[in-house]
Amino acid sequence: MPDMSVLAGPQQHQFNPYAENGGTILAIAGADFTVVAGDTRQSEGYSIQTRYAPKVFRLTDRAVLAVNGFAADGNMFVKKVKQRLEWYRHAHAKDMPLRAIARLIQTMLYAQRFFPYYVYNILGGIEEDGSGAVYSFDPVGSYEREACRAAGAAQSLVQPFLDNQIYFKNQTAAPGQSHPTHLPLSDVLSIVIDSFTSATERHIEVGDGLEIYIVLAKGRSLQGVEGLRGLREMSSREDGERVFVLQRELKKD
Amino acid sequence: MNSFATKFSPTDADIELRRAQEIAEEEGMSDVMWGSEAGFGNLVNGHAFNIPSVPDPSSFLRLHTDDHADPNCKIKIQHGTTTLAFRFQGGVIVAVDSRATAGSYIASGTVKKVIEINPYLLGTMAGGAADCQYWETYLGIQCRLHELRNKERISVAAASKYLSNLVYGYKGMGLSMGTMICGWDKTGPAVFYVDSDGTRLKGDLFSVGSGSTFAYGVLDQGYRWDLTDAEAQELGRRSIYAAGHRDAFSGNTCNLYHVKEDGWKFIGNYDITKMHYDGPGEVAGAPGGGYGYDVRTQGRFSALAPTVPA
Amino acid sequence: MFLTRSEYDRGVNTFSPEGRLFQVEYAIEAIKLGSTTVGIRTPTGVVLGVEKRVQSPLLEASSIEKIMEIDTHLGCAMSGLTADARTMVDHARVTSQNHAFTYDERIKVESVTQAVCDLALRFGESVHDEDAMMSRPFGVALLIAGIDELGPQLYHTDPSGTFVRYDAKAIGSGSEAAQSELQDKWHKQMTIPEAQKQVLRVLKQVMEEKLDQHNVQLAQVTVDKGFEILDEKTLKEIIDDM
Repeated sequence: MPDMSVLAGPQQHQFNPYAENGGTILAIAGADFTVVAGDTRQSEGYSIQTRYAPKVFRLTDRAVLAVNGFAADGNMFVKKVKQRLEWYRHAHAKDMPLRAIARLIQTMLYAQRFFPYYVYNILGGIEEDGSGAVYSFDPVGSYEREACRAAGAAQSLVQPFLDNQIYFKNQTAAPGQSHPTHLPLSDVLSIVIDSFTSATERHIEVGDGLEIYIVLAKGRSLQGVEGLRGLREMSSREDGERVFVLQRELKKD
Repeated sequence: MNSFATKFSPTDADIELRRAQEIAEEEGMSDVMWGSEAGFGNLVNGHAFNIPSVPDPSSFLRLHTDDHADPNCKIKIQHGTTTLAFRFQGGVIVAVDSRATAGSYIASGTVKKVIEINPYLLGTMAGGAADCQYWETYLGIQCRLHELRNKERISVAAASKYLSNLVYGYKGMGLSMGTMICGWDKTGPAVFYVDSDGTRLKGDLFSVGSGSTFAYGVLDQGYRWDLTDAEAQELGRRSIYAAGHRDAFSGNTCNLYHVKEDGWKFIGNYDITKMHYDGPGEVAGAPGGGYGYDVRTQGRFSALAPTVPA
Repeated sequence: MFLTRSEYDRGVNTFSPEGRLFQVEYAIEAIKLGSTTVGIRTPTGVVLGVEKRVQSPLLEASSIEKIMEIDTHLGCAMSGLTADARTMVDHARVTSQNHAFTYDERIKVESVTQAVCDLALRFGESVHDEDAMMSRPFGVALLIAGIDELGPQLYHTDPSGTFVRYDAKAIGSGSEAAQSELQDKWHKQMTIPEAQKQVLRVLKQVMEEKLDQHNVQLAQVTVDKGFEILDEKTLKEIIDDM
């Protein structure tokens, strides 16, 4: 006879539509480029669901969106953003500028203020003036333009490293010298790859694969990108902003 | 929608279709999101928010978002702050810190907690960052419409009342904001405190946030109506410094604004650590030197106490 | 036209057998009763001008409002039933602000024009079993002037909800004479002062009264200063300079 006593007492039911799927995303803005990256592991608890679930998506030739948190919410959110971008294109006969996408994302997240998407968004790309830009969001739509940002499981591991390497926090310049305001693309790519290999070493939810999106301003030479192993162009045209994706492996244990 | 058609085709497929349409409409996917109105369909007839289908939506929200102190919940909304604003002879001074915390993690040290509603109105941000940003931006467009329709700028009193009525409509649903609406209108400089409980207060001096008690301490002892512009700006800076120094949830930098008759002006961004050791730099009203370091090292700090001759 | 007039000119949502919507056509006729309104586009901005019919010496000329601001980069001038235009202009203002709220950018001139024209066809329309919002077409035409990333633009809208872009356009009672005058005088490299004077000259030709700063109104949207209605003092200077 099964023990019924566990069923006897009052039972509490809770509506819990959220899960945490791990992973980390990060974005860094340069003078005339932006890099947006994310690992491709998706997990729930201690088990890995898949080793390839993209978290970074190309929206337009000048905008890339990284989504982290609850994967189902994230995928749905990206789908809806893309839909709104297409409607905008039909209504206004142009691609949506980056800062407009940022504001749109705020209104879309805030529309779910009382039933939030459990997602942390980082939007990267090129502004109308040709400069690289990163916008970061909280789950209900508060946003800010920054030079770099990490989010997700290993945020607290990666962000301090970025603060030090990008913002030169707690670094003193040599006498008579000053820190650069923007780093060249090759340096940024090394920092991104190092961030993820290190996060993979110390965080169980990070690993498997790495996808790095690179957005270049209009007319910028490919200097620093050409000849990279595993590079693929994603742009729809060659005379505008250009988007590339760089794929790398991360440890799988 | 098409009542004639539905009346004569009560098939299962039709019911399915209607249900799908109802769901689509619930999510704000109406026709107005297309065409020239594409993108703001949810604004045409007021804001359409998606509410979870549970008996008590606000307790659902409380369970999943860190309303105040629960660090275990999943969705972390930015919190923790010191903001202040005061009215004086020369206008309004608005000063805030720039730290955002999620539990004990510093989520950002570069948050803009002064929201530039329009060229002559400022709002401050305490509580939910998104709530403040969204509704104060929304307030901005409403103020602009008021201006177009009435050919006259909205008063600070009216703007703040608009906001307080708006958030009062969402009372009990989980909005969290404590804000000061600051500006200059026909009545002169004006500051109103508005929060998500529906409180709206007119006053000379307010400070909001976890560091407000520390800011008030400095502010109250230094405040006079006839402060000069330089003195007033220094008081704002010094008060935020005090809060950044003593409140763990406040810090990083101080943003300072001054509202005068012709609108607001951004005065500067000051690193709080720098203010501690070196002071705010060459700025009007600053006494020169750090706010804290000298005091602790010139013989009055026990470890470095000068030897007293016997 | 009067030969084919029949029952079909009663309802707003019934085509005549010849495929015409009489009420809409009558609405377009209503504009020809309105005061003359002129707009000219130049490479640096758009100039709008209206005739204000001051029917009585006791009438406050300044209370006649036929040019309205939609946003800092958009303005509009009207002719016909100006009361109808208020609904349209308010819709344009709300549309423009909503766009700014949702996208943090200025709306394009064509997009607000489209939004206003969407509204123009809402007559006779009812949602579910509710009463229709509008019983008849608008009896007003608008000249919408503005500047966006495509440069200065001038649009004309009519009660049928059609909108067309013009380099220079006249509407209202004197529109036929005014339009042919504009066709003769408009050229690509007009400056703003030239356009201001041209607008006034065209109005002067079609007006019965003697033109002065009280019975006309001038407004412009320029790259530097956005939308502005010229005050009577500036207007007088331009008139004296003509």
